[in-house]
Amino acid sequence: MNSNNYMNPYLAGIFLGLVLLASFLILGAGLGASGGLARLGAALEAALAPQHTQASAYFGPWGPNYLSYYLVFMLLGAFLGGLVSAVISKRLHLTVERGQTCSVKQRVIYALTGGILVGFASRLAQGCTSGQALTGGAMLLSGSLAFMVCLFASGYAAAKFFRGQWHD
Amino acid sequence: MIKTFFGAGTLETSGAFLATLIIGVLFGVALEQAGFGSSRKLTGVFYFEDMAVIKVMFSALITAMLGLAYFQAAGLIGPYELYFMPTVYGAQIIGGLIFGVGFVMGGWCPGTAAVGLASGKLDALVFFGGAVLGSIGFNELFPVIQPLYTWGSQGVVFIYQTLNLSLGSFALIFTLVAVACFWGVEFLERRRGKVAAEGRSKFLTSFSVGLVVLALGLTLFSGTPAPSAGRPAGEAELIAQVEGGRDHMDPEELADRLMRGEPNLLVVDIRPANEYQVFHIRGARNIPLSQLAGELAPHKNRGLIVLYSNGMTHPAQARDSLSRQGYGNVYLLTDGLQGFMERCLKPVSLRSEPLTPEAAARVRAWRAYFSPAAATPANAAGAVATPRPDELPQSLPGLVEPDWLPRHLGQPWLKVIDLRGQPEYNSGHIPGAVLMSVEGFRGLVRGVPSMLLPAPMLASQFSLLGIHPTDLVVFVTGEKLYDGTLVGMACERLGHSRYAVLQGGMAGWLWGKRPVDTLLPAVTPSRYPESSADNFTVDYRRVLNAMQDKKTVIIDVRPADYHTGKKSDEARAGHIPGTVNRPFSEDVVKTDQEVRFKPVSELAGAYEKIIPTRETPVIVHCRTGHQASQTFFVLKRLLGYKNVYYYDAGWTEWAARPELPVAPMVNK
Repeated sequence: MNSNNYMNPYLAGIFLGLVLLASFLILGAGLGASGGLARLGAALEAALAPQHTQASAYFGPWGPNYLSYYLVFMLLGAFLGGLVSAVISKRLHLTVERGQTCSVKQRVIYALTGGILVGFASRLAQGCTSGQALTGGAMLLSGSLAFMVCLFASGYAAAKFFRGQWHD
Repeated sequence: MIKTFFGAGTLETSGAFLATLIIGVLFGVALEQAGFGSSRKLTGVFYFEDMAVIKVMFSALITAMLGLAYFQAAGLIGPYELYFMPTVYGAQIIGGLIFGVGFVMGGWCPGTAAVGLASGKLDALVFFGGAVLGSIGFNELFPVIQPLYTWGSQGVVFIYQTLNLSLGSFALIFTLVAVACFWGVEFLERRRGKVAAEGRSKFLTSFSVGLVVLALGLTLFSGTPAPSAGRPAGEAELIAQVEGGRDHMDPEELADRLMRGEPNLLVVDIRPANEYQVFHIRGARNIPLSQLAGELAPHKNRGLIVLYSNGMTHPAQARDSLSRQGYGNVYLLTDGLQGFMERCLKPVSLRSEPLTPEAAARVRAWRAYFSPAAATPANAAGAVATPRPDELPQSLPGLVEPDWLPRHLGQPWLKVIDLRGQPEYNSGHIPGAVLMSVEGFRGLVRGVPSMLLPAPMLASQFSLLGIHPTDLVVFVTGEKLYDGTLVGMACERLGHSRYAVLQGGMAGWLWGKRPVDTLLPAVTPSRYPESSADNFTVDYRRVLNAMQDKKTVIIDVRPADYHTGKKSDEARAGHIPGTVNRPFSEDVVKTDQEVRFKPVSELAGAYEKIIPTRETPVIVHCRTGHQASQTFFVLKRLLGYKNVYYYDAGWTEWAARPELPVAPMVNK
């Protein structure tokens, strides 16, 4: 894999910052990804147990059209944009990304568990790296910046336990 | 001024969805190009292998921060156009700690996982599934963890407020920290020799300088008082304003502002008095050029002053002269009176360009308001009768005393609407009054019950009642004076400023042994324009924003027992944190004969204790918007508070949305 054909990270950052600014000025709200994810969760739960979901305290008020929400479209857009960009830059390969000494099973377990933690934490904090850290950070909101500091702090503290999955 | 979907309350419409999709696509492209379609690259930041996450994220954050701050400092985007997330320290700190572990373990975050999935990474798909499960888990556990979810809730708080700094100086510090980080991580990477960094340092130097210059510029820019602060405008500034057209107001905008009855707007006709008497824009004052400076002194840098003449030359000269004297609030009417006649008052049928139905309706509304003599096509049978200014009550919208009414009953421009209900109306009503139920103006909007209906539906009710935009509408109530003010909100939404509530209601009328009758009056339907003038209704997001911005006073007008949570018949008990309780019933007094509004002086004294200034933003709410309409009326129309907002959905909605904070906290 060639890691040298990525965009200059600072230019990519400026580009991302301008997209965020456009989002502020057009939508009146910043970028977000976990909100769309949670809506998918709500729609999934509603498909399996409609009455239970409708009566639940957190997802309930979102119904009955759980997917009729702007962040669902942002997530869909991010996927499409990522797809176009990956195809153009010839980076679309079906793989399970991991170090050579790591088994697929271990990587999948880590990805699943990590996903569950991130999904839960995003709801608790009302946003993720996009919706809180980046968007709220650019708005200089106290809670969003606290979220960002804590995210990096615990990420660095926990990093050594999960390093094995990247050993070659 | 930029209008956002959020500000317009249309974030959940198909137009906004399309805009979001496009922004999302660009978001995805940016992440993928940055290399965030790879979990190895993302987690590299935690092992000091690849610091791209820091570089991209902070470049983006600082770029957007500076950009947004510039737009705000230039006054191009108002605070109510943006959704600021509330700070909930407990939930966000614990959420951040859990998130960090999940991030380094799973190798992704939600946005990058979407891009990873698009790059064919199957571990991203698994992570994505996990995150969906985690969200469902949160929903299932929500009843248990709800106290944590609201733990440390602060409302909207900005870091520079927390640190007691100005926005500009904090932005500068933050930018310097980010730049230092960039150099630090470059150094780190070069030492490790992991990433080829040659050729970057030149770029990084210019990038760093650029950011710091922009941040410094912001400090200076946001530190400069606006011209409205009363400083004489510099010549260069004056020229810039003139060239940028910022000293102009378009006729359409002026017409709409006048029809809304904006209290801070002074329109000045600088033509000779005889020309003024032949025709002038309704609401304009005539001040000859020579007396302009003296007459306008009380309005210097207060509200908006709009000057007009037939053309543009004289007002422009007057405006320049006033600017040099320190006036920062003087505008010219674009194209003068001629432009106003051409663009606002020219009949639809005489226009060469085709108009959309909405634009045609706007023109008809302007013509009805500004050229009383013109018969609108909807009333081809004859001109709409309009009152002479001296025939109307002193201040509108406002109260009208029972003594005023008999002298004008029977006038075609006076519409008396009885809101009491069937048996009472049928057994005797004010002669000529028609019956209407307040419930005809309310209904389900976006899933919330008992909301004031959208403008087109209100307009069709007004049309059935035969009301014209120039008519005076008087509301007659029983003891519930707030029935009158609720329908007053319908007038407010339609921009109908000629309305009044009968002081003392029907009881006051009867007490004076005034005439009643039992006939049903004849009503000829009108065609009321459907345009909305509503800039005062706010939704829960704005209330949440206002909750602790320390500038807005939120008044809960429900009875005290409901405010404290002692009594409740809603989804949750209590009140919106930070609200002041001033029950609506405190504003009226029950005498032997009737329920009437308290004297204005007494009301003014009571609200002075609650609201610091007449300019302070105030949001009023109750359970369904009914009682709050009365407080809105008292504050805005009787006491002259300038920035009163109406949270119509009220406690009904707030209590039923579990994500919204409630005080006092009750642990189940």
